Amino acid sequence: MTIINFKLNNDLIEYEIKDHWTLLHLLREEMGLIGTKEGCGNGECGACTVIVDKLAINSCLYLAIDADKKTIETIEGLASTDGKLHPLQQSFVDNGGIQCGFCSPGMIMSSKALLDGNPDATREEIKHALAGNICRCTGYLQIFESVEAAKHTGGAK
Amino acid sequence: MKPFNYLTPATVEEAVSLFGQHSETAKYIAGGTDVIVKLKDGWMEPDYLISLKKIEELSELRKNENTGDLTIGATVTHATLEKSIMIQKEYPIIYDAVSNIGSLQVRNVGTIGGNLMNAVPSADGAVPMIALDGVALIQGPGGERSVEVKDLFIEPYKTVLKPGEILKKITIPAPAPRTGSAYIKFGRRAAMELPLIGIGVLLSLDADLETCARARIVLGVAGPTPMRAYEAEKLLTGKKITEDLLRQAGEKAADESKVRDSVRGSAWHRKEMIRVQVRRMGLKCLEMIKRN
Amino acid sequence: MSEYNVVGKRIPKIDAAQKAMGRAEYIQDVKLPGMLYGKILYSKHAHARITRMDLSKALALSGVYTILTGEDVPEKMRMGFYKDNPPLKKDKVFSFRDEVAAVAAKTPEIAKKALELIEIDYEVLPGIFDPEKAMEKDSPLVHENTKSNVLKLPWKLHYGDVDKAEKEAAFVVEGRFTTTWVTHCCMGTSGAVASFDAADNLTIYTNTQIPSLAQKDFLEALKAMGLKNKRARVIKPIIGGGFGSKLDTYAYEHIAILLAHKCRKPVKIVFDRPEEFIATSTRQPTVTHIKQGCDKNGKLLFRDIRMVLDNGAHTSWGATTPSVMMMPITSLYRVDNVRYDAKCVYTNNTYSQAMRGYGNPQATFAIESNIDMLAEKAGIDPIEFRRINRNHPGDVTPQNFKITTCGLDLCLDAVEKELRKSGTKEKGVGIGVASLIHVGGGARIYKSDGCGVIIKMDDYGKASVFTGGTDMGQGLDNITAQIVAEELGLLVEDVHVVHTDTDVCPWDVGAHASRSTFVAGNAALGAAKKIKAQLLELGSKELKTTPDSLMLKDRLIFVPGDPEKSMAIDKLLRKIHFSPGGTMLVSDHFFDPINENMGPDYKGNMSMTYTFGVHGVKVRVDEETGKVEVLEYVAAHDVGQAINPLLLEGQVYGGVVMGLGYALSEEVMHVNGKNMNPNFRDYKLFTAKDAVKIIAPVIQTPDKDGPFGAKGIGEPGCVPTAPAIANAIYDAVGVRITTLPITPEKVLAALMEKKKNH
Repeated sequence: MTIINFKLNNDLIEYEIKDHWTLLHLLREEMGLIGTKEGCGNGECGACTVIVDKLAINSCLYLAIDADKKTIETIEGLASTDGKLHPLQQSFVDNGGIQCGFCSPGMIMSSKALLDGNPDATREEIKHALAGNICRCTGYLQIFESVEAAKHTGGAK
Repeated sequence: MKPFNYLTPATVEEAVSLFGQHSETAKYIAGGTDVIVKLKDGWMEPDYLISLKKIEELSELRKNENTGDLTIGATVTHATLEKSIMIQKEYPIIYDAVSNIGSLQVRNVGTIGGNLMNAVPSADGAVPMIALDGVALIQGPGGERSVEVKDLFIEPYKTVLKPGEILKKITIPAPAPRTGSAYIKFGRRAAMELPLIGIGVLLSLDADLETCARARIVLGVAGPTPMRAYEAEKLLTGKKITEDLLRQAGEKAADESKVRDSVRGSAWHRKEMIRVQVRRMGLKCLEMIKRN
Repeated sequence: MSEYNVVGKRIPKIDAAQKAMGRAEYIQDVKLPGMLYGKILYSKHAHARITRMDLSKALALSGVYTILTGEDVPEKMRMGFYKDNPPLKKDKVFSFRDEVAAVAAKTPEIAKKALELIEIDYEVLPGIFDPEKAMEKDSPLVHENTKSNVLKLPWKLHYGDVDKAEKEAAFVVEGRFTTTWVTHCCMGTSGAVASFDAADNLTIYTNTQIPSLAQKDFLEALKAMGLKNKRARVIKPIIGGGFGSKLDTYAYEHIAILLAHKCRKPVKIVFDRPEEFIATSTRQPTVTHIKQGCDKNGKLLFRDIRMVLDNGAHTSWGATTPSVMMMPITSLYRVDNVRYDAKCVYTNNTYSQAMRGYGNPQATFAIESNIDMLAEKAGIDPIEFRRINRNHPGDVTPQNFKITTCGLDLCLDAVEKELRKSGTKEKGVGIGVASLIHVGGGARIYKSDGCGVIIKMDDYGKASVFTGGTDMGQGLDNITAQIVAEELGLLVEDVHVVHTDTDVCPWDVGAHASRSTFVAGNAALGAAKKIKAQLLELGSKELKTTPDSLMLKDRLIFVPGDPEKSMAIDKLLRKIHFSPGGTMLVSDHFFDPINENMGPDYKGNMSMTYTFGVHGVKVRVDEETGKVEVLEYVAAHDVGQAINPLLLEGQVYGGVVMGLGYALSEEVMHVNGKNMNPNFRDYKLFTAKDAVKIIAPVIQTPDKDGPFGAKGIGEPGCVPTAPAIANAIYDAVGVRITTLPITPEKVLAALMEKKKNH
């Protein structure tokens, strides 16, 4: 057992973990944050994407112990506490970026990491950044439109 | 995943010493994008996992302004290389190779050292390091030693590193003037691919902008380890580069390759791709040189 | 359509916000108190006898509750269309995906460990993996109790006189086309949680597209277990994609039930990704021999098709896909003489299931590739050729399909207009088109094609709609809410759609055959009409007018043009509830479309209406590498009426990209029955970087029978994609690829072959 300290969606967390836990396991199974999904467990689908120190990562391939002293953002942290959706979330809703929804949290987190660093991302840059997030429902087009629309509604801060 | 203890040494010496204490049951881990998959699948079941992430000197990416040597620390991530303007401008072959490894999520965590040490024939990162005459600096219980990256690999999943040794960094000598370099990963998709075949070409020209001073043709997935096509390189060196000569080099490289059939693709098609892409990448190098 | 307030509007999916927030609960997220975790052990061989099993080491592992084998499965517990498949196999295994043992343990890790400790000895038997070889006389038998590997399920449909038509034809072409295994790749893997109450009633949370039929399967399972007169309640969590994969009940569901009953605790089984690839079913692979002929003017005279389907080791719905293949074979274009024979053949491969399009993509690949060959031979432009032979409204096809509305001509026009914008032909660039017909008004597969809906109005003007229909991401909830809101003059947010629970939702035959908008939509409309009649009747008394002078709109009931006679609907409802002799507003409606089961000659109007479409594509072929780049894609569909264009486009885009994967990149690679690529690295789904721009013209031909004129559109997007691509490649570089997927390797091989012959 090891104690780690990290910032999770603006909360400071101290947690006793086992060294072999993945960050995904810590979030989903231990902390009950089910928004982050497991689609493959091998870093090949992006459903488990969270942001660690501003970088999108696969939480299934990231050890929880490496989250020590880091800032973690998950899908649960995007909407404001009064329930208002983050502009990116709203844009995915409004533009058909969500069908079955299983890839959506990861897709939105990848999009957030992109726009946080590159508010004017082009279509090609969006495709490059989202290439690791598999979606089987949408054919991706409405996802690209969602990200692009969010650039102008505050999705890019 | 079998439980393990995670150790985070701050220096290479400490890491090597920790390995010495637990040698039979210890493994090193850098970014973890390959190691964690192996841990999950049970291919690897260490009691101690020694992380190289906290060792500062391993994460150095620096160009020596005096010598022109480039140092890439083993734990420099693919994304760091991909985003570096210096890499994009001066080492396009590195950019070509690392910018399409796995997904961005993987590149944000995965390291160049890990990519090399995983030692798969399809390691995109190996091709540019070999083409650029990279030298690997290794440290272990017996001290430091250097190995050219081209000699690093023995067979799939096996390198020349001895138990306890750590890859510290790759040093790349200053590229000659009038050099162009390019890499292509050939696969079915535009992203998330393991290459069906990977082809890297580097050309340096004499001042006449025609004669080839140095040629490197490096192939991934063309054999059990990433390999240089020496005969093809020889064909180009010292000669005036033409499209036809590049075509011949492609033929030669295809002949030299040890491609084989697998469920992912047939040997004949891989050979064909070497033929075509050596020429195309060569032409790209020439264009690059002319542009600069 | 401006006449509607809600229908035809781009209204975002009503469940999208909770999905965007990560609040939606999938089977992965379901946890019950005291729940155990189940894991399944699969065969190590494609065909073998089990000679010894030793569970002792596994049972000794701390945290293991129980282990089941084939011995523990009641004799009558069988799955699949043929009921030939027990959830755990005893004595013999027939494919690598055959389940041989299952563990329930405290944690998934312990369960996994226990599987490794189970010892099984096998006597390996020769396997058969090629359906054409499996048909040969001396082939080993997959099932020893049969005389032949060919299923006694002959699909045979002969209309007109094909031999005579062939003699009369001016031009005849033939070809052999093959398709391979592809799989649904739902992002949310399969899973179920089974739980029994103290009286042995079952509650099962499961990913299913057929809650009512699954309930029947589970009740039969309970009966087989000796639990008679018990209840089975099926609860669907939010589903992470369906695409046909959840149209049957599976071993993991039955195993979860057996484990839960034995342990007296809830048991959860959720697949990991490799398991999802290996142990769920695929699209049916096919070998098709096709011959078509036309007269000198290009009029299609006949179609002659023989097909062999790899059935795999067990029989599920994949074996019935020829019933849908018949649709394009008899009814895509006017053709009077048709001969179709299909055989399903047992092999030691994985068995197949329903998958979006249900056989239609395989048949359309052969037909539409071959139509281009015929058009070329006849010297007629391929789009023109299709125009000559297109279906017309009012047609009755040889299979007795009654074409009510048909916008095939308009789809051809729309695609041609987009594709032929630039006249000049570049080297290596080509265009291709392919058309489709699909059921758009339900499909009578079972004796019923019905769906029930119940609507309950509350005090506050809100409607709760309990539907038998299933939303698995495609958006039926929205369609239902929009239809009900339109009819009752409410806003979409006033309608709460409940589709999750067989204890409260009415009966339905499932989300298949693109039937949900049409059938569940009509059921919702029918129920809403009944509520509306009651509201108008009760409102007329309140407002002192006649019911037929009243309108419902914007949450109001009113006489148009008379501001005095107007009232909020919620206020009216409260008046109705809170008065002596009051009443409540509840309605139900069961809609069963007027369509027909196919007769013994396979004739019958399967659907109440048909959806048509045309896809066109422009590609560039790299003649040195064989790589195909999609430059433009146009997918025009005749949808009747778009209830929600935003969701409609989503269905089309998603279908097309799934179709592009089928055409160009996806295949489950099997070597001697073993799945060689059970992961997203080697199973090549299109990524965001591969995605192409798609133009999706929507042709509206409101159908008198559809809800507000709508026809089904769930599947068509992936139906004609592969032949459109194949035709474009031929146009670009003159090689005809007849096997899917069309990989660079195949294109380059064909180009080299062509060069050699010239």
